[in-house]
Amino acid sequence: MVIDWLPSILIVALLLIGVVGMLRRSSLWRAGRPEKVNIIAGLLAMPGRYFKDLHHVVERDKYMANTHVATGGGFVLSMVLVLVVHVFKVEQQIVAWALLAALLLMLVGAFFVFKRRLNPPERLSKGPWMRLPKSLIIFALTFIVLTLPAAGVLPEGTGGVALIAVLSIGVIIGLGELLFGMGWGGPMKHAFAGTLHLAFHRRPERFGGGRSTGLKPVDLEGDVLGVAKPSDFKWNQLLGFDACVQCGKCQAMCPAFAAGQPLNPKKLIQDMVVGLAGGTDANYAGSPYPGKEVGNAKGGPNEIITAGLVSQETLWSCTTCRACVEECPMMIEHVDAIVDMRRFLTMEKGETPNKGSEVLENIIATDNPNGYAPGSRTNWAADQNLAVMKDKKEVDVLFWVSDGAFDMRSQRILRAFVKLMKAADVDVAILGDEERDSGDVARRLGDDATFQSLAKRNLATLGQYKFNKIVTTDPHAYHCLRNEYADFDKDGALAGVEVLHHTTFLNQLVQSGALKLDAFKGGKVTYHDPCYLGRYNGEYEAPRDLLRSLGIEISEMERSGFRSRCCGGGGGAPITDIPGERRIADMRMEDASATGAELVAVGCQQCTAMLEGVVEPRPEVKDISEILVDQLVEEVH
Amino acid sequence: MSQFDVLFQPLNINKLTIRNRVVSTAHAEVYATDGGMTTDRYVKYYEEKAKGGCGLCICGGSSVVSIDSPQSWWSSVNLSTDRIIPHFQNLADAVHKHGGKIMIQISHMGRRSRWDGENWPNLMSPSGIREPVHRATCKTIEVEEIWRVIGDFAQAARRAKEGGLDGVELSAVHQHMIDQFWSPRVNKRTDEWGGSFEGRMKFGLEVAKAVRAEVGPDFVVGMRITGDEFHPDGLNHDDMKQIAKYYDDTGLIDYFGVVGSGCDTHNTLANVIPNMSYPPEPFLHLAAGIKEVVSVPVIHAQNIKDPNQAKRIIEAGYVDFVGMTRAHIADPHLITKIKNDQVDQIRQCVGANYCIDRQYQGLDVLCIQNAATSREYMGLPHIIEKTEGPIRNVVVVGGGPGGLEAARVAAERGHKVTLLERNDELGGQITIAAKAPQRDQIAGITRWLVMELDRLGVEVRTGVNADAQMIRDLKPDVCVMATGGRPYIDQSPAWGAEEGLVVSSWDILNGKVEPGKNVLIYDTICEFSGLSAADYLASKGSLVEIVTDDIKAGVGIGGTTFPTYYRSLYEKEVVMTSDFLLEKVYREGDNLVAVLENEYTGQHEERVVDQVVVENGIRPNEELYYALKEESRNKGQLDVEALFDIKPQPILSESGDGMILWRLGDCVSQRNTHAAMYDALRLCKDL
Repeated sequence: MVIDWLPSILIVALLLIGVVGMLRRSSLWRAGRPEKVNIIAGLLAMPGRYFKDLHHVVERDKYMANTHVATGGGFVLSMVLVLVVHVFKVEQQIVAWALLAALLLMLVGAFFVFKRRLNPPERLSKGPWMRLPKSLIIFALTFIVLTLPAAGVLPEGTGGVALIAVLSIGVIIGLGELLFGMGWGGPMKHAFAGTLHLAFHRRPERFGGGRSTGLKPVDLEGDVLGVAKPSDFKWNQLLGFDACVQCGKCQAMCPAFAAGQPLNPKKLIQDMVVGLAGGTDANYAGSPYPGKEVGNAKGGPNEIITAGLVSQETLWSCTTCRACVEECPMMIEHVDAIVDMRRFLTMEKGETPNKGSEVLENIIATDNPNGYAPGSRTNWAADQNLAVMKDKKEVDVLFWVSDGAFDMRSQRILRAFVKLMKAADVDVAILGDEERDSGDVARRLGDDATFQSLAKRNLATLGQYKFNKIVTTDPHAYHCLRNEYADFDKDGALAGVEVLHHTTFLNQLVQSGALKLDAFKGGKVTYHDPCYLGRYNGEYEAPRDLLRSLGIEISEMERSGFRSRCCGGGGGAPITDIPGERRIADMRMEDASATGAELVAVGCQQCTAMLEGVVEPRPEVKDISEILVDQLVEEVH
Repeated sequence: MSQFDVLFQPLNINKLTIRNRVVSTAHAEVYATDGGMTTDRYVKYYEEKAKGGCGLCICGGSSVVSIDSPQSWWSSVNLSTDRIIPHFQNLADAVHKHGGKIMIQISHMGRRSRWDGENWPNLMSPSGIREPVHRATCKTIEVEEIWRVIGDFAQAARRAKEGGLDGVELSAVHQHMIDQFWSPRVNKRTDEWGGSFEGRMKFGLEVAKAVRAEVGPDFVVGMRITGDEFHPDGLNHDDMKQIAKYYDDTGLIDYFGVVGSGCDTHNTLANVIPNMSYPPEPFLHLAAGIKEVVSVPVIHAQNIKDPNQAKRIIEAGYVDFVGMTRAHIADPHLITKIKNDQVDQIRQCVGANYCIDRQYQGLDVLCIQNAATSREYMGLPHIIEKTEGPIRNVVVVGGGPGGLEAARVAAERGHKVTLLERNDELGGQITIAAKAPQRDQIAGITRWLVMELDRLGVEVRTGVNADAQMIRDLKPDVCVMATGGRPYIDQSPAWGAEEGLVVSSWDILNGKVEPGKNVLIYDTICEFSGLSAADYLASKGSLVEIVTDDIKAGVGIGGTTFPTYYRSLYEKEVVMTSDFLLEKVYREGDNLVAVLENEYTGQHEERVVDQVVVENGIRPNEELYYALKEESRNKGQLDVEALFDIKPQPILSESGDGMILWRLGDCVSQRNTHAAMYDALRLCKDL
């Protein structure tokens, strides 16, 4: 009877419709700018990336990790076996049993998805996502019943036409969600886009334990500088946006969102999806940008993003702290996207808000963001007896001073570090007035032209001298030198040079016994991970080792390590200064105060400035080098 | 970023880089021991300034180059012997360790010294004219001696260089030998060392040449000069510009320090170290005038005490370096506090000139309000560390300088501190002293202490007349009694204080009593209070006679301060009468009759006045102390051996119940602000 074939026909039909949808979807991504990707290698690497890298992120939430393994794994297995059993009609009972097992696994998973959706946390999007567990359960149950005869549990024909009819509805609902939905923009799109995103990721270095955090350079000869329209993104960036599962883990970690600034990384990615597909955000069922209503945004692949899809202040609220990227189970690169869009606003439109344009003009005119006379860069070191590379030419350690040189508070950090280096007899020199701003702020504000100019000139200076290491107290300069200068280092000025943050370097000195330190006698100490040291460069342990070497038992904040909360000072955020309901630095100081600490140890002058800007009473803030120098055992001559 | 960035632009003197624009200029410290050696106290005093961030210290004001320029009676540095070299090495190392630079001023003082001691030399000057301030008679220097002294300068410079100092400053200021030759006021020579401009310049030029030849081109050689002697027969500003340019053109001098005024009279001496009666930087224009004509950096000190003021001067380009010398005596961490954005925490010099007035008496320079200054070697701290011992409940009774300092130090130690003050206003006698004309700045001592107590979270209760039960209820572990005293106007019943015939200087200055028309002030103390009351009354229009049994009105006031009182008092026609005792006062009609007795003849005189003010010091307020003494753990006693040794009071480490009771300041016996604050610091620093 034809009716007996109905489920099989439906399966094939929905599969075909799903595939058509997927092809259509991929054409949307292809509207993006070309980016060379090794398709074969990517596809081959994909399973590994999924099981290792992605799962590593998902595993932070054990409940969801297990649930997803059961549901997703169960579904993939079931789908293959459904085709084997119900389309190709392979009649071995063992296969049917295998299918049943897979379906049961999926059913268990789906049950837990269902359970979580009973009272979902705020970060999760609702809407179609609320029906997904039910669709999953219907799929599993439908195919269990459909498969029971093939497994020999029920005789063929049990239930008759009525059952077939009911089951066919189940097939339509279940596969409609899972196959049709996958191709046509339902929640299950994530499985298809996510898989391809893993295969064709723009930063393949991220996988296999690697780290890829440097921004990609802008081709300054290109037609449009930065991203004006969704189609200005690279095609695999668009693909990445489509992989979003709206889990909202980014939202939960975003400091700007928490501060009530108009940024929600999840909504931003979803707006990118609206942009690439065309339409409005009316169907978005998650948390809005704070202070902005949902439903007013609309866009299309070739429409200017900031002309209706995303407001400029959303883009300028980001501190580039990478908490969202670190948290995203789908490996989406929010910060890249935001800076890409900022690049257009700054370089094409000249619309860097508030102090932004002034700071950029300062950098262009004086090579430092605050417009100090370049000749005063080394004033702080007048009493430090530091060798200068110009005289010295060759040295073991080049101390990259950074723009803290102009700031009296930061100078205390610099002096402390110099004292420690002297105590350890380090062969060190500075560039003196030849040093320029690393370009960090210019780059984060979207002015890649100025960044590139600074990078090239700094590299030309560095190229004149020989040194084994560059050490800096500034994680932002550290990040630029370590991760972003290589794109411009044609002459190999930094080839073979170790770039170190001062805490890493000091830790080496302490561990080797070159620095002798007394035990710390103060009260409770907590440590604030600077974003550009931790998430950007993976250095979480050296600062902690240093504190431990003073006998300090660190009272960790709830948000620490890779989950550290930004101080609010990165990405030019203090300069663009988008208002919110709270200040990020205040929230971070609350985190610190909650540990009962009397002292917040920091490894970044920017964090120091932000956290010290919090009104008292609050814990004291000190750079680790300042803490160490107080405990330094000086040799008596 | 800081509003004070301009102060932190390094500048070179010759090849020496000075890290900022703030200098501690040469002053006589009176700390050199062992025949003028820069020993421990001296080194630690300068090390503290370097640690605190001072750019350049020029030490050893008027340090002598020759054995016939005496140094011992005011413990100055002696560069006439190679014995000084290793001491200089210690000094240089201590300052360089903290990134500072140090030079020394070298001089032959000529006639501006004393001959009656040490080697009993004949003092020498160009024309043998007596110097009045030191009552110094002298001989006319002979040519052989001139050349010897020139050689001595060169040798002294060599010793400074071999000792690792960064430079020498030739003193041609304060009318020492070099500027004695310059000035027609005292150089009446007709030989090649006087007469013409070139002749008067010759001695200084030969000194500069000899020194430069000895130390080479790169060692800093500076010269401190006056900008105007302010003597009608002396060198005026135009003369000084000509002189500065003359020496600058030789290329031998790396910088000029400029001071306004000469000082070989009592009145001009007061200009040199302007006290609180002067406006800020009164002589900056003279330094700026010199800067116009020279090609090397110019340093100027004189009443520059505030970072904003220093910034303004440098920013406007008047001079290249500001001298903040007394400012550093009051707070050697001045620069660090600017850098740390703690400008409000700077203990600012108030111009009381306790430092310099001690120096002119041959006593070691001390700060009226910072007892740690120059006592670093004894272990008195400028920065007070938190205690690692028990946190104590400390109650301080009395909000004068002693009580405030005790509360501050105890709070810095981390204790819970409550301060009780009877008046509505803190400050004690300083508040009264500040009411006098031109003395208002003394209140800066209180202002800083009060701000610090606020910052440190001390609970301050004013308007509280503490009694024993109130103290007991506060359950202090330590009670510091600093209740001060009250005017002692009833010492002689015949003065009639009981009958209300006389009033105290406090009542006058506080405005509690209306100024009379015709007032007699009887002052046995002869310090600030009596002259302040006289100046106050005269400024309100009273006719005032100040009578003392001492040898001169205000005789207890130091050399840089009595002249400014005298200027004011003479101008207001205040009569100053010495050598008379006040025998009695009686009423006659609407008037009072004060009967005076000449101490030396016994002769009586009478004055008919309508108000008699008695300034006879104070009697301690000790009732509360005695009320608590018996029940205190230590019976109110201090272990004076530990106190004088700057060691913790032993009772602090003994266990026991009840309060420890200490008494300090004028409620023990009348001394002064410094004494009260010194006791407070040394007692409480180990609390």
